[in-house]
Amino acid sequence: MMQRLISFSLLLVIGLSISGCSLSTTQPQDSKITSLQRLNVDAPARRILDIQTWQTASGTTVFFVQSDELPMLDLQLTFAAGSSQEGAAYGLAQLTNFLIGAGTNKYNADQIAQAFEALGAEFNQGSYRDMAILSLRTLSTAELSQPAVELFAEVITRPNFPVQAIQRVQNQLLASFEQQKKIPSHIANRALFAQLYGTHPYAHPSAGTEQTIPRLKRQQLADFYQTYYNAHNAQLALVGNLTRQDAEAIAEQISRALPQGVAASKTPQPQTPKATHLHIEFPSNQTHILLAQLGIERGHPDYAALFIANQILGGSGFGSRLMEEVREKRGLTYGIYSSFSPMQAQGPFTISVQTRAELSEATLGFVRELLSEYVQNGPTEAELATAKQEFLGSFPLSAASNAAIVGQLGAIGFYDLPLNWLETLMQDVQQLTLEQLNTALRNHIQPDALVVVTVGPSVPQLPLPEPVIRNAQPQGHQH
Amino acid sequence: MIRPSINTFILLFALISLPTSAASNPTTHEFSLDNGLKVIVREDHRAPIVVSQLWYKVGSSYEVPGSTGLAHALEHMMFKGSSKLGPGESSRILRELGANENAFTSDDYTAYYQVLARDRLEVALEMEADRLASLTLPEDEFLREIEVIKEERRMRTDDRPSGLAYERFKALAYPASSYHIPTIGWMHDLERMTIEDLRQWHNDWYAPNNAVLVIVGDVQLDEIKTLVKRHFAAIPARQIPVAKTPIELAEPGERRLTLHLKTQLPSLMLGFNVPSLKTAENQKDIHALRLISALLDGGDSARLTSQLERKQELVAGASAWYDAFSRGDSLFVLSATPNVQKGVSLESVEQALWQQLKDLQTNPPTQAELKRVRAQVIAAEVYAQDSINNQARMIGMLETAGLSWRLLESDVDSLNAITATDIQSAAQRYFTASRSITLHSLPEETRP
Repeated sequence: MMQRLISFSLLLVIGLSISGCSLSTTQPQDSKITSLQRLNVDAPARRILDIQTWQTASGTTVFFVQSDELPMLDLQLTFAAGSSQEGAAYGLAQLTNFLIGAGTNKYNADQIAQAFEALGAEFNQGSYRDMAILSLRTLSTAELSQPAVELFAEVITRPNFPVQAIQRVQNQLLASFEQQKKIPSHIANRALFAQLYGTHPYAHPSAGTEQTIPRLKRQQLADFYQTYYNAHNAQLALVGNLTRQDAEAIAEQISRALPQGVAASKTPQPQTPKATHLHIEFPSNQTHILLAQLGIERGHPDYAALFIANQILGGSGFGSRLMEEVREKRGLTYGIYSSFSPMQAQGPFTISVQTRAELSEATLGFVRELLSEYVQNGPTEAELATAKQEFLGSFPLSAASNAAIVGQLGAIGFYDLPLNWLETLMQDVQQLTLEQLNTALRNHIQPDALVVVTVGPSVPQLPLPEPVIRNAQPQGHQH
Repeated sequence: MIRPSINTFILLFALISLPTSAASNPTTHEFSLDNGLKVIVREDHRAPIVVSQLWYKVGSSYEVPGSTGLAHALEHMMFKGSSKLGPGESSRILRELGANENAFTSDDYTAYYQVLARDRLEVALEMEADRLASLTLPEDEFLREIEVIKEERRMRTDDRPSGLAYERFKALAYPASSYHIPTIGWMHDLERMTIEDLRQWHNDWYAPNNAVLVIVGDVQLDEIKTLVKRHFAAIPARQIPVAKTPIELAEPGERRLTLHLKTQLPSLMLGFNVPSLKTAENQKDIHALRLISALLDGGDSARLTSQLERKQELVAGASAWYDAFSRGDSLFVLSATPNVQKGVSLESVEQALWQQLKDLQTNPPTQAELKRVRAQVIAAEVYAQDSINNQARMIGMLETAGLSWRLLESDVDSLNAITATDIQSAAQRYFTASRSITLHSLPEETRP
C-alpha cells in the first residue's frame, strides 16, 4: 500500500478545559470554502479523562483511567531499565527485556504463548534508551482477564532466562545487524547518535552491537532484571473496563510480586558535540541526510516555545516550511521532517531528508540555509497564530483510543510529569509570543554548529531546481 | 531449566471458559445519494472526534502496461488544487483545524481521509467534494510532483531490497491478472507519464457513483445526511468504464526466481495462487485459508514461530499472510530468513516451509489449537474497535473489493463454522507445486 506520507504521531495530549479561542486571525479570508465561515469559533469539545493515581504498598505508582465502552483492558508497566542503564554491556537492557516471556520455573516459552493466546490476550515488550516496557491487553470478562493477569504476573516477576533461548535471540540479533548494514537510513541514524553523544550512554544503539551481543551471559541478564525491574523503579498504567477496586487489586498483585529495590539514578547530561559532517559512502540511489544538535530534556521550561517553533519549521508535515520549500515547491524529496525528542537527558533535535544522490549537496546546502534564516528571523505572526490554532484543534484527537490513553499515562508516570501538564502546556502555547519563540530558537539552535551525517554514493552534483510558482488564485475547471 | 509438568498446565487453563463471541456490533448505517454515492456511517461516541474516508473504486489493478502508477500519481495530484482550492491549500486549512489527513493507494482502491474534531467535519467534506467534482491538475505542479513520486519509489523500492523483491515476486506471481502491476508504477512509466494521462484518469474514475464515503465517530445519521447532501448531491453521476475482475490462472505452473540484491542475508518467499472471498466458489475455503494463516503465524504460539524459530532454530524469522478481501484472485504467501548463524541454507528452509504445509495436508489441527486460534481472532475483533481509523479502513476495504461491510457482523460465525477437516482439505487443494512461486533473494556478492 502506498501512502502519500507517513502520518506524524499525535501529540501526547490530555483533554482538559481550555476556554474558547477565535479562529479568525489566520483563516484565509478569501477562502472559497464556505463551511469555514460557519465554523464554531470555540475550542472543540474534548473527552475529559479522569486520571486517578496512587501508590501500591510495594512502592509502584499507578495511573488509572476507567473506560467502559469496550470490553477490554490495557495494562502497561514502565521501568527505568533502558539501554542508558547498561554501561558498556551494549544490548543488555534490550536482551533482558526480550527474554522476559521466554520462560519461568513453571512454564516454558511455548506454554506461555499458548496460554496467553488461548485467552485472546496479547503480551508485549519494548526496550528503548530511557525505558523498558511490559504490557498486556486482554478482554475484560473476569474469567478471561483474571487468568491473563495472573499469567502476566507470573511471566514478568519470575523470568528464568533459559540459556538456549538467550543464544537463539543472540543469533537473531546478529542476523538483524547483518541486514541493517545494507539499510542506508539505519546506517545514518546509528552514526548520528554516535557523533552526537560521544561517550554518553545515549551514543550506542539499544540493540547492542555485533561485538557486545555474543558476549552477554545469562547471569548479567538475571542481575540486570533484579536491579532494574523492581517495584520502586516501575510505574503502572491501567486503562479499560474495570473499576477502581479491580485496578487496585491488580496493581497490588503485580507490584507485590516484583523484586524489591530502589529507583534507578537519572541519566547524566551529555557534552555538546563539535560541528561535524560525516559522509558514509554507500551504493544507493538516494542520499540520506541527517542534521542534528542536542535539544532539550523532558520538563525543560522552553518546551512549549520549541515545540511550536518546530511545528512551524518541519514538525507536522504539509504546510511546514521545510515540506513546502523542499518537497512541494522543488520536488527534492518524498518527506522532510524536523523534531525535538525530549528524553530524560537532552534528546536530539533532528532534521531528516533523503533525495536523489546528484542533488544531495544542493539539498543539504538549501536546508542549512532555511534553518539559518529561520533561527535568525524567526516565524511570522501568522505562522504562530496558525500553530496555536492547530494545537488547539488537534487536542481532542489525542484521547480517542485506549491505546493512546495508556501511552499518555506511561509518559506522565515515567517522566514524573504533573497530571495537568498538558493543560499547562496548552495554556503556555496559547500565550506564546514571537519574542519567546525567537529567544528559544536562538538559545537552542546554532546553525553553524550542526552535526551532519550523509549516507549515499559520491556522484557528480546538480544545482538546486527552481521552485514552482504558485498563483494566488486557484484556476479551477470542470473536466 | 525446569520444565513444568504438562498436566498441571492443562489443569490450570482447562477450567476457564474461552471467549466465544465478540463485543456487540456497533451501530452502523448505510444510505446512498441519487448520484450513486454510497455512504456508511458508524457511531462511536467514546470521544468527540470523527474520521472521514472517501474511497474510490480504482487502484493500480485498473491500470494497463505502459501506464502504470497512474492511480497513485493522481492521489498525489488531488492535493494540488480544485475550483475552490489552490495547490496545497486544503492541507494548510486542515492543518490549522488540527486535523490529521492523508491518502493511500493500493491495487483495488484510492482513499483519502481526515481525522478531526467532530464539529469540523463539514470543512473536510466540502473540500473532498470539490476535488471530486473539479480537480485543477496544473502541469507545473505535476512536473514537480512526479519528481517527488520518483523519490518515493527510490526510497520504498529501489533502495529497499525487501521492497524490490516483493515487487518482482508479485510481477511473476500474477501472470494473467493486473495484480502484477506495482502500485507506485515502474520507473520507466513514471518517466513518460503526462498531465494529460492524469486528466483522463480523473475523468474516467472519479465520479460519485464510483465512490464510498465512510464516516466513523461521534456523529448522528441525520447530521451526516444533511452535510453529505449539501456538498455531494449536486455532483452528477457519470458513466464509469467497465472494470473487470482480476482473474488469475488457477494453476499457472511452478515458477522460480532468483534475485541478487543489495542485501547481507539470503531470504525466501513462497506463494500460492488462491482465490479471494470475492472470487471463490466455496467461501469455506477462504475462511479455512484465513485460519491456516493464523495457525502458521497468528502469534508467538503459532507454528512458524514455535516450530521453525524456537524448536528447530532453522529461521531467524518467518511469516505467513493472506489477503482474503481483494476484488480479484489473491495469493497466500510465506516468507523466511534462514538462521545463518547455525549454518542453515535457503534450501533447507524451503523444505521446512513445505513440511509445514504438508503437515496441514496430512494431519488436521487439534481442537485445542483451533480453539486457541479462534480465541485470538475473536479478541482481535474487539481490539480493532479501539481505533476509529481501523474500523473505517476495514469497511472501505470490503466495499471497494465489491463485498459488503455487513460481512464484519457475521465474520466470527463464519470462522467458527470452519472445521479441522475444512482446513485439511483447503491445504490439500491450494498448496500444490503448480500453484506455487518461489523467490530466492541472495546477496549481490554471491552472484555467479
